[in-house]
Amino acid sequence: MKTIEVKKPSGYATQIGPAHPALKEPVMFSLDIEGERIRKADFVPGMAHRGVEWMGMRRNCIQTMYLAERICGICGITHSISFSRAVEQIAQIQVPNRAHYIRSIVGELERIHSHLLWAGVAAHELGFDSAFYLAWRVRENVMDLLEYLTGNRVHYAIIQIGGVRRDIVPDQFPRIEESMKFFEGAYAKLAAVFLDDTTVQMRCRDCGVLTTDEARELCPVGPTARASGIKKDVRVDHPYAAYGDVEIEYQTPDLLTGEVRGDVYDRIVTRLLEVKQSIGIVRQLLAMLPDGPLLAIPKPAVLLAKLKGVAGEAVGRHEAPRGEVMHYVRLEAGKDEPAAWKVKASSYSNYMAWIPMMEGEQIADIPIIAASIDPCISCTDRVALVRPDVRQIVTKEELHRLSVEKTRRIQAGLAK
Amino acid sequence: MNATSLLLTVAGTLGMAVFGLFAGLWFTGLDRVLAARMQARIGPPVRQPFIDLAKLLVKQNVVPANAIPWLFNGAPLLALASAITILLYIPMAALPGLPVLDLHGDLVLIMYLLLVPGLAMVAGGLSSGSPYATIGAQREMVTMIAYELPLASTVIAFAWKLAQTDVDHPFSLATLAATPLWTLVGPIGFMGLLLLLATMILVVPGELGRIPFDAPEAETEIAGGLLVEYSGRNFALFSLSLAVKTIVVTSLIVALFFPWNLTDFVAISCCPYLATAANAAFFLFKLFVVLFFSVTLVRISVARFRITQVVDVYWKVLGALSLIGLALVMVDAQIR
Amino acid sequence: MSFPMVPELLGSLFKKPNTNPFPAAQLPPTVTGLLEKVGKGEASLNPPVPVPEKLRGKMTYNRETCIGCKLCLKVCPAHAIDFIEGTKKIRIFVSQCIQCGQCTEICPKQCLALSGEFLNASHDRYADELVVD
Ligand code: SF4
Ligand code: SF4
Repeated sequence: MKTIEVKKPSGYATQIGPAHPALKEPVMFSLDIEGERIRKADFVPGMAHRGVEWMGMRRNCIQTMYLAERICGICGITHSISFSRAVEQIAQIQVPNRAHYIRSIVGELERIHSHLLWAGVAAHELGFDSAFYLAWRVRENVMDLLEYLTGNRVHYAIIQIGGVRRDIVPDQFPRIEESMKFFEGAYAKLAAVFLDDTTVQMRCRDCGVLTTDEARELCPVGPTARASGIKKDVRVDHPYAAYGDVEIEYQTPDLLTGEVRGDVYDRIVTRLLEVKQSIGIVRQLLAMLPDGPLLAIPKPAVLLAKLKGVAGEAVGRHEAPRGEVMHYVRLEAGKDEPAAWKVKASSYSNYMAWIPMMEGEQIADIPIIAASIDPCISCTDRVALVRPDVRQIVTKEELHRLSVEKTRRIQAGLAK
Repeated sequence: MNATSLLLTVAGTLGMAVFGLFAGLWFTGLDRVLAARMQARIGPPVRQPFIDLAKLLVKQNVVPANAIPWLFNGAPLLALASAITILLYIPMAALPGLPVLDLHGDLVLIMYLLLVPGLAMVAGGLSSGSPYATIGAQREMVTMIAYELPLASTVIAFAWKLAQTDVDHPFSLATLAATPLWTLVGPIGFMGLLLLLATMILVVPGELGRIPFDAPEAETEIAGGLLVEYSGRNFALFSLSLAVKTIVVTSLIVALFFPWNLTDFVAISCCPYLATAANAAFFLFKLFVVLFFSVTLVRISVARFRITQVVDVYWKVLGALSLIGLALVMVDAQIR
Repeated sequence: MSFPMVPELLGSLFKKPNTNPFPAAQLPPTVTGLLEKVGKGEASLNPPVPVPEKLRGKMTYNRETCIGCKLCLKVCPAHAIDFIEGTKKIRIFVSQCIQCGQCTEICPKQCLALSGEFLNASHDRYADELVVD
């Protein structure tokens, strides 16, 4: 066959976002496109910077807990666990065992809710709205359960530094078990709809591939990493709360399909497997729930006084539904509020995976690839350039220089 | 053509336009309610499309600064006018005076006319000066080319079979309406016709730009594609043309595959008006059934295809299916 | 080819929708008109969805026992509590309160509590029913 020489590749540049129906939160993709194919992809984050850390550094630790909870609308407990773990380490507060278990139970219920929410969003991005309604309908059950246990559907306000604020009593066990039974049935239904459907397979198989090697280089976390065959999970690698007492395995897609391809489909598989895993963990934890107090320091006023007296720095981690979340906290003696607070949300580690996933795919795949890492953009945006004299693109060196300057400024302020 | 028949034609055209618009919107509402119920939602009231239309008509009609105004404004009008025109050629129930332009067109004309609303949307999309609309317009053209193969194979199968039976005008719609093809073929041909029916059922979502073939509009990808810049009156006209086109395409399937009247099965001899009314109701029922299986059920039970997959499905899967159907009809004719 | 959604969809066609209904199925021409009709027994409203007993709702405040220690102000993450210097009592702005209940835990006199009331929407964030004092 004669090949036709094309002199100039007919490409064009376009962008998707920051406001676009495929994106539930603002981020911008700038794309170099040829026909329907994406030649080069890049993204511009930083459009939803809210200054949460700044606010937290002006509130005492108890107040900051609730602020941390509000970093994300989906993983409410993620940030409060991480923050309180950091503070507990600094103040050397021993969290009672029962509180550890309750933290883990609520954490797993949150994982179920988050993954189902994601499944719905992903289905919607594929134009498969029935699956979206199905997933969200099923998710209502766990939302109701969380409301029943904690009093709120989201932002459970159940974590306190040194423990938890609400108990799970034996009277509530049947209702929890009922939900777990419901989710076993729902898992079968969702697995059929998401994994067996021909059109879903056509859209998701071998689309948005992140190979194991690429994943190793880019260091994503959570289901994004596990779907590419990287075995990492904070709950297994560095057990915290009650995770050391239960049996947890890395959920990689080969457990179900026998192979790891690292595509969007594998990310669906991984998340579905984790829903099933969470059901198991909740059951194990409930069966072993130890007796004991809920809080190390029951009186908030005493807690505040203690935190005022301690100094030090620590990192608190939690395996969020999207992957590892990290909070760095530094407390100074004589101050109520944290002297420094830095949040690394899980999506921050996953963003870079977008680029190898998108390049070479079609325009039609952008929404599902963007959604496949389950991005949480508002949680992630930590920096916004607001001064007009600062260039839009900041090199690593420049960022380092700016950070050093800022740290000096803060330290000078602290010294005063 | 004398004055009376001209008058009759004008009245018929107006009547069909009103019917097309009204029935189209009503069926759209029904489609939305049924889809909602199947997704375990309550859904909107059936009259919601009328409410939406009324709202669109009072909204501002924005013409983007870098659009080509005459083309941008003309495209929706052309789309609606052409959709209504097709309606004048399609045989419906055995009602007196239908189709309005019975003797002036045939199946081939309809196939061409069916392209016009789509082309109008392409023109409107390209003239609106938005990159999303441009991508959408390109996709719409590709989609139109894609579903033409299965559509044409089906039409050819019908015309060929009718030509075999020595009727005068094998491509004429009146002939089609009078001769249900199912009765003319043996078991093999029957299977062929079933394949052709399945093909046509899946051509409908492509024609109407519904999931899974809605790549040209693809809300989550290109934000509405072709229609992204349209608002107010222009957008209302496009949604009306879509509503009319829904009636057109489903009527076409009814005319090709289910031309029977109710009076063919039950004799309603007591009064002719009752028979006519019964036939009209039966026709609407047939439309509803076709609409349910080809639009409502399909659009909610699968995910959207990429544009390359749209072409693959239409050419490789449905193209093959319709060609096998055509071959079966031919084989059937040979062995009988 | 497999389309597992189809049986599920066709099945749902004959089931009750899962949506929690609004008090009225569709937006009535006038809300007051509808309420009047309900009052006269000519129309009925869909009952509200039951809430769990531990729901965190609107704050309640016992003015009498409050000693004005300001501890609640210190922990309130949303700065929803105002201290009134003159009377040495507090005031809670419900529109700003995030219903965390932290103040109820620190109050030495237990004069704060969360109720189950959750219908706290209003046009005016300083409306009487949205300021607890
Ligand atoms: S419930 Fe929470 S937000 Fe509301 S007043 Fe009390 S401490 Fe403040
Ligand atoms: S903590 Fe209790 S007693 Fe103290 S000011 Fe607040 S409401 Fe009053």
